Amino acid sequence: MSFTYATAKDSSVRDIDLTIEQGELCALVGANGSGKTTVCNIIRGFIPRFHTGEMSGQVLINGEDIKETNLGLLALQIGFVFQNPFVQISGSKDTVFEEVAFGLENLGVDVDIIRSRVEETLELIGIQHLRDSNPFDLSGGQKQRVAFASILAMDPPIFVIDEPTSQLDPQGTEDIFEIIKLLKNNGKTILLVEHKMELIAEYADHVVVLDDGALVMSGTTSEVFGSPELATHRVAYPQYAEAALGVRESGVPLARIAVTREEALADLTEAMHS
Amino acid sequence: MASRIRALYPGTKLIIALAIGISAFIVPTYWFGFAAFGLAVIVAFVCGEGKAYLKLVRNSLLILLIFMFVMRLLFSGGKTIYWQWGYMIISAESIAVSLAFVSGVLALGSFLLLFFMLTPVKDITAALSNAGLPPSGTYVVLSAIQMIPEMRKQSATIMDAQKTRGVETEGKLFTRIKAFVPTLGPLILSSIASTEERVITLESRGFTAPVPKTRLYVVTKRRVDTTIEIIVIVAFVAVIAGRIALSLL
Repeated sequence: MSFTYATAKDSSVRDIDLTIEQGELCALVGANGSGKTTVCNIIRGFIPRFHTGEMSGQVLINGEDIKETNLGLLALQIGFVFQNPFVQISGSKDTVFEEVAFGLENLGVDVDIIRSRVEETLELIGIQHLRDSNPFDLSGGQKQRVAFASILAMDPPIFVIDEPTSQLDPQGTEDIFEIIKLLKNNGKTILLVEHKMELIAEYADHVVVLDDGALVMSGTTSEVFGSPELATHRVAYPQYAEAALGVRESGVPLARIAVTREEALADLTEAMHS
Repeated sequence: MASRIRALYPGTKLIIALAIGISAFIVPTYWFGFAAFGLAVIVAFVCGEGKAYLKLVRNSLLILLIFMFVMRLLFSGGKTIYWQWGYMIISAESIAVSLAFVSGVLALGSFLLLFFMLTPVKDITAALSNAGLPPSGTYVVLSAIQMIPEMRKQSATIMDAQKTRGVETEGKLFTRIKAFVPTLGPLILSSIASTEERVITLESRGFTAPVPKTRLYVVTKRRVDTTIEIIVIVAFVAVIAGRIALSLL
């Protein structure tokens, strides 16, 4: 698909052909302005129905074009979490419990089911202690967890997550990645935009690199992060991969490029022993 | 007692407040209005909100009442003149007129304040949805109320930010007025900017899904509410009928 915003001259994304398998965590990386958020908005259907512009191509979920589905009902299929924790609360509820229930109310779920589903979700995300707090009084990290809980309560099979930790501190980031891990273990299909490469290397199954609106690389974490090509697309390496690539460049014949802490430790131990 | 008063259906509470408040304008003695105010204060104290209520009345109603009383007192004319200076006349008639008017405003105002004090906005909107207000209407009311303290916080942040850039926000009236542009400008613009993201948030929660919504928080009208409403309305009609009968005699 391709898309040009109504107010822009050039296309934000061009000829992107992307398949995400069921149950896979696909990470979308790229420099600022490379079109990551645009891709997220297209997949969730906000483009072209909310942000207008010229769009070609289609988004299929299980073979069905999302154009056929009502934008509100699409919430049943795709959960959407984005950067700013401060606007991801509905603003009409005065407790976290009701906030998490809001999506289910909108979908017309039975009240008894809503109650049990919200309880489960609060437990799962670990925010039971916040249930009676006003969502406005929470910290950024807590708000972001409430936003995740609110989406998770609706139990969509697919999650589109756009830079969830960019405004959070290290502890908040860790909490969010715990949640993402949990979603993955529950078999959710996830598209994640994130700048913290170490975390992507650790959690993602599939990495897609965007550069200037085009899809330039796609593969497993070791394929993408182990390749010298990545540097030409203005994307940072995970620190372990960067170190390994440096070592290889200096003439040491490494068998593989370690991309996670675990792999790096294993390789290093092996090297020490031999 | 307190919990019973609070548990009344919002509509019932409003009907009681309006019936008593409007009756104060109809009943020909100003003692009714003052007595009604006394009753409102008692109810507020019974519900444990007495002090806050008196403070609210002092801050919102008192100045209005004093102003109205003085205006009516001086400019209503009359024959039994006690004091006169130019156009300003205090007479037996003007005293009666101003007392009657002020007692009416006092009764209506104090009962409406009491209504809002004892009825959470959540209950009011829940009752409005019962009456058929669409979800978007409920959302607008609730989010506006939640947003006010948020915007106040945000404006304090902006003020601080502008102070560090050397904009003076305190001091004389004119200095404060000048500070309006650099403080209110960003506040309004950022609020407009965040509406777009707010829409995305609402869409992500299926707000526009074309299915009948369920509501976690509901208020229900019990039989006692209906009974009280009927009694109050009958009494109110009797007051009107009595007043008409009195003026015909």
